Formats: sequence, C-alpha cells, structure tokens
Amino acid sequence: MTDLDRRRVLKTGGLAGLALVLSPELLAACKSAAARTPTKEKESHFLFFTQHEAAVVQEATARLIPGPQDDPAEAGHPGAREANVTRYIDTLLGALSLSPQRIFAGGPFSNRAGWPTDDMATFIGLAPAEAWAWRRRIGAWQAQYRTGVLHLDKAAGGSFLEARNSVRDEVLAKDEGGFATLLFSHAAEGMYSNPEYGGNVQLVGWRDISFPGDVQPRGYTPAEVSKSDGPDPYHPSGIGAALIGLIKGSNGV
Amino acid sequence: MARTRTLVIGSGPGGSTAAMVLAEGGHDVTIFEKGRSYFSDLTSKRPGTVWSNDELKGDRYFGQPDPLAEPRVFRSSASDPNPYVGAVQPLPQTVGGGATHWDAKTPRYWDIDFQKLSLLGPIEGAAIEDWPFTYAELAPFYAEVESLMGVQGDVAQLPALTLAHAPRSGPFPMPPGPPQYSSLVVSDGCRKVGLHPFPAAMAITSETYDGRPPCNNCGFCSGYGCPIQARVAALAPLRRALLAGAELRVGSQVVGLRWQGSRAVGVEWLDEGGVRHTERADAVVLAGNSLESVRLALLSHLPDPNGVLGRYLMFHWFTDGSGIFFSERLHNYRGRDHTHDIDDFADPDFPGARAAAKAAGLPYFRAGKVELGGTDRPLDEAQQYQQILKYLSPGRPFGAEFKQLMRASLLRDRLLGLTLMGEDLPYATNRVDLDPSEKDWRGFPVARITYGPGRYELAAQGFYMPWMTKLLKASGADVAIAIPELSSARFPIGDSTVVQTAHIMGGMRMGADARTSVTDGVGRHHQLDNVFVGDGAVFPSSGGHNPTLTIMATALRNARRWL
Repeated sequence: MTDLDRRRVLKTGGLAGLALVLSPELLAACKSAAARTPTKEKESHFLFFTQHEAAVVQEATARLIPGPQDDPAEAGHPGAREANVTRYIDTLLGALSLSPQRIFAGGPFSNRAGWPTDDMATFIGLAPAEAWAWRRRIGAWQAQYRTGVLHLDKAAGGSFLEARNSVRDEVLAKDEGGFATLLFSHAAEGMYSNPEYGGNVQLVGWRDISFPGDVQPRGYTPAEVSKSDGPDPYHPSGIGAALIGLIKGSNGV
Repeated sequence: MARTRTLVIGSGPGGSTAAMVLAEGGHDVTIFEKGRSYFSDLTSKRPGTVWSNDELKGDRYFGQPDPLAEPRVFRSSASDPNPYVGAVQPLPQTVGGGATHWDAKTPRYWDIDFQKLSLLGPIEGAAIEDWPFTYAELAPFYAEVESLMGVQGDVAQLPALTLAHAPRSGPFPMPPGPPQYSSLVVSDGCRKVGLHPFPAAMAITSETYDGRPPCNNCGFCSGYGCPIQARVAALAPLRRALLAGAELRVGSQVVGLRWQGSRAVGVEWLDEGGVRHTERADAVVLAGNSLESVRLALLSHLPDPNGVLGRYLMFHWFTDGSGIFFSERLHNYRGRDHTHDIDDFADPDFPGARAAAKAAGLPYFRAGKVELGGTDRPLDEAQQYQQILKYLSPGRPFGAEFKQLMRASLLRDRLLGLTLMGEDLPYATNRVDLDPSEKDWRGFPVARITYGPGRYELAAQGFYMPWMTKLLKASGADVAIAIPELSSARFPIGDSTVVQTAHIMGGMRMGADARTSVTDGVGRHHQLDNVFVGDGAVFPSSGGHNPTLTIMATALRNARRWL
C-alpha cells in the first residue's frame, strides 16, 4: 500500500472505523509495518538534500570531524558520520517545511536524566519575526549548499565522492566561497547539540568529549559541584601545545 | 485616589516591578511585551516552561531578538568608518525580559555609586552626578526585592569593605548553595594574594523558597532559562501584578507614544500579526531597557529640548581572565556558572590604585567586582577551535586535530574563567540614537549605539589586568591570561570589536537639572508629567556591579512615588 492509498483509506474510512474491522493480530502487524516504514524512509528521504548532495555532505563532514573509518588517529572516537551530522544539516535546511518548524526544541526536560518523556522532541513554533529571519537565513544557506556541493565536485576533478582523502582535504581547506567554514559550523552543531535536532546520535558527540549534556531534572549533587574529580593530567603536545602558545600570545598583560 | 489607565512597556525586571506597585496600588495596568511567553501559568509560583538545557537553542536566539529581524548598529565612535550591524547587547526579548536567562547575580551598588560626585569628585570630560537618593534611602527597597525574588548569600562572609559601602540590616533570605569547585580553587588563589573572596549574592534558591524548589545545579545557568524555576527574578513581581489584576499582552510591539503638550495620551502598538492598534493611557512606563526605551522615545519624537535623550549610556568595561589547568578538569558545566566574587577592585583606595590614577592624570579610578569561575560550552568551544585552527593548521584546519582539542578541552573543561566588570563613567558621547538607514523587519529604524572607553576606563583596565593573571597563577593555573572583552586603541587584542556585556544603563538618566538629565528624581520625564522610566536607563552612574537588583530596587522606590 502506497502512502497515497493509505491516506485515501484513512480519509474515507476514518481511523476509528478501520481499527474496528481489523483483528488485533492484523492491527499489530500494521503497527509494526508502520513503525518500519518511517525508519526506511529515514535512511533514504531527505527534507532538502538530493541523494547526491547528502552523500557529498556526509563524506565532506567526515573529513572535517572524522570517525574511526575516516582517520586511523580517531580509532575508538566516533565522528560526524556516526553522529549522523548529515541528518542534522538536512533537518536544519528543511526546518521550515515542518510544522512546527524544527528550529527550537521544546522543554523543560528530555528523557535522558530521569524524566519519563522527551519534552525536547516537541518543537516550539516560531513567532512571526523569527519566521521572517529564519526564512532569510535558511534560504541563504540552502543556496550555499546547492552551489557548495557543485563546487566541491568540480574542485575535486568532477566527483568529490570518487576523490582520494588527500584531495578532499585540499578542496575543503581551500574553503571556496566559505562553504567549508559553513559546513564545519553546522557539522560541529550536529556533533555536539541535543540529539533532538537530528545529530549527536546515541550521544556519540558528547561521549567523545566527556560532556554529559542536559541533566534535568536530576541535576548534580553538591559533592559533584564542589569537589574535584581527581587528577587528570594533560601534557601539551602537537596541536594542544600550539594552542597554548597562541593563548599565551594573546595575553593583554 | 483616581484609578489611572497605566501602560507598562516591557515585562522585564524593571517593568514587572513597576507593574506590581501600580496594580497593587489599584491602578488599571496593561503590560506590553514584544516577545512571547515561554511559561504556562504566570500566576503560579512555579509556572511550567519550555526553557531547557539546550545550548543550540540559545545559539539560535531563542527568546532573544533575532539579529536578522531586529538588529542594532554599533560604532566605537561617531567617526567609526565601519559600523557593525547585528546583535549588539541583546537582552532576552520575552516575558521576564533580561532576567529570564541571566546569571542572577544580585550584588547591591555601593554608597559611592549613589554619591559619586560628592564622595569621589568630578572627572574631567565626564558628567559625574549624584543620584537623587542615597544608598541608605534605597537599602530597604533592596531588602524588599531580595526577599521577593529569593536571594542567597551570607552576611557573615561578606568582606568588611563590602559591608562598609553597602551595609545590610539583616541576613539574606537564604544561605549560599553548594560552592562551585572552580570558584573554591580561585578563591584560594585570591586569599594567597591578599584579596577577599566571598559567596556571591544571587537570586537562585538554595532551599525551598516561596513554593519553588532548590536549585539542583544542572549547570545550564548563565545564558539559559531555568527549567525548574529555581531562579524566577522578574516573574515574582509579574505574578503579583497579574494577581492584582494587571493584563499582560504578549507579542505586542509598542511603536509610538502619543502625546500632547506635557502629557502622554496613549500608545500605538502592533499585535503579533502586525495589525496596528491604539490604546488610551493616563500614564505610560517605559521599561524596555535603555536601548529600546530610548529608541521608542526617539520614534515618538518625545520632547528633548536640551539634546540629552540617549546620552550618558553605560555598559561596564568587561575584562576576561582565563586560567587553564593541566592537572585536572574543573567540571564547570555543573552548578551555577560561578559562586564567588571579589569586590576588592571596586575600591578607589585599593593599594596602588590612587597612585596609578594620579600617574594617568586622574584623581581616582575604580574597576568593579570580579566573578570567580565560569567557562564555555561545547558548541562555543568548537566554534573557537574552528577559528583557531585556521591560524594553527592553515593547510588542514579540521580533522583529527579538531577532535583532539575538543577532548583535551583546554578552553572548556580545563578553563577557569574570571569576569571583571569595570565602572563606566557617563560621557555625553556614549549614546544611543536611531540609525539613519538600518530598519527592523517591520521597517522601524533600529537603535544605533556609539560607545567607547575613556581615559578613566582604560587606566583602570590597565591597572587591574595584571591582577587577573596574578590571582589565576596563585590559584595554580598553568596558563593565565587577561583580555579585554572590547578591543580598543590601547588594548587592540580584545574578545570582540562590539560591546556585549548585557549590562545596559543610562540614556534617560535621573537628575534635578533638565539640562543634564531626561528624568527627574523619581524617573518621571522632565517634559511629560505622566511618562515614567522604569528600567536601567535612569541610572546616573554605572557602579561596578551587576545592575539588575538596583534596577528593580529603583523601580520599586520610584513607582511608589508616581501615582
């Protein structure tokens, strides 16, 4: 049964009427089928991206925030691919096509810290001024993604997806039109934001940086707030040492 | 007493406090709030809410003016060739105003803030004045607001200096909650170098108070709406205003005051759908914060015979200290941002300060309080590394190195932040007016801010910055730096070229002389008998402490004298 057929049935028959003629076994079968259908769609259907755009964004963000299969140095550390950053970005770019718009997650609590329901999964609709601003903001981003993916392909010699990692990195480092910068910003958001926005799947982003995320309504105990967690020595080297040098150099004193 | 039709513009700390006084005084009060309400029943002591532990939501301007739809313009001086258009000093634009996702620190101002001219003296180039009232006169109103909101603190731990300048007649409504680990670490460092840390006064519950639960230390505090109402601020007076019969109109933008002769007669406002309405008024209270109240006054062409409207704007000059710890993580993501302060640098007689001021050609200078502790969150941190890697790894400014930085977390989990808020003097050149070209989404001219530090501010900043690194090193930080939040010719390396302190004062200051002030000794407009200002715009001086408690206490004191 296609979606269109299903809608017709429901519209003519009505949900209650339909349920009456179905046996409990059939109903259970329908429910599990319905539960499977969106999952299948989730893998293949995007709000904004074409299949090709999604594939390029996935491979590009995996260079920016690599996981174990993208960089051997990241063995054991999930990246953009594992966090499903592509889904996050697609949800952002298509946020205004959903009702309520997928810009502001709800509250006060998720179900991650002792609350029975995930209030954050119910989004908050935009006020007119906000809708006005987000139409412009997202409209501009959509155009950047559309042309940005074309440019990535072109700069990679015709196909970003077929290019070697070293070529992909070179192309991204060039940052033509600021697209890689935009992509990196969005990828980081998808990596480390609340999972209700579509990324940070299984909290892999937060876990990788030892950040617990939202903790309401449980909160933290006074001891957790006031006491040291114990020694955790860091020995600056490589990029960390370079960062320390930069920080020291920016001292105003 | 006649029942007057009173319109209050803005539901933040000042507007809600004024509305409470007027509604409980039997007047017919309507509160206009441009933003939406993110609370369920505002007459409940503990309304439900959709504020949450969600960094991205804040980054997307939830509950704030969206800078695309409602930008402001910033210039470092009148001759700034590159004005900035975007988010400038954005405060929450929602029911509860700036105090919905504030840090809730509620120090009192000092006696020398209210009598700056008579106790400390003039400074050349600045328009130093006394307030129309002294600390002693405001003290009971401070106590009343502290009790209304529920403030935690410990008089016994307040330094002698603080108590000498801001004496208290009784204890805080609640004891301090659990101290933040990082605040304890840096408090130790302060004591080692002779400074005097103490548990900060803050409007956050540490125990069940007025029907609200104690704070459970979720960590999403400064910059986030409280999901459990352990921090209600403006909602406390707003609730009382509503219970006394006040009406709250959300999503309503007042776009003009109508006035004739020496009286306002009503307002024009747009509902959320953009439909224009007029509303009759016997009295109008401006309480949208300095920037928006002045903007509305200018849009309404309120009389300004002496050209004072919008001048003497003050923001505090902020300076950030950053200590980085290699030995351990400080887990600043738990708790209330920071729990301790020092007041030492607010003292004009701090050791060496008089001599340094003299060397700079000034009779004295002051900085202000330092907040001890605080850090960034992951999305902010990621953004910083993204920018930094462009310098450090230009050939490949992403990839495994980015993730290594995120895990090492030098700028978040190993960071101990300090914020020094320094006193701004009132200068005629620091001002807000209407931008000649930029408009908001509805076509109304936006506020243009012209602001820069003077000799006084820069001399004090230069003197106290080394103290920031000194106390961080004494706390055991492996790296300790201090950076002004706003860059200037003297300190070109700043966090930003646009001021973002969220402390907004002046622009319609109180005073007896209509040539140098916009409002009188109770915040009444000098030329319009029934127009009152209920926000921080009335401040004649900025002090060196967070302004919200003083905004509320002043609104309480003044509103009781209005009608």
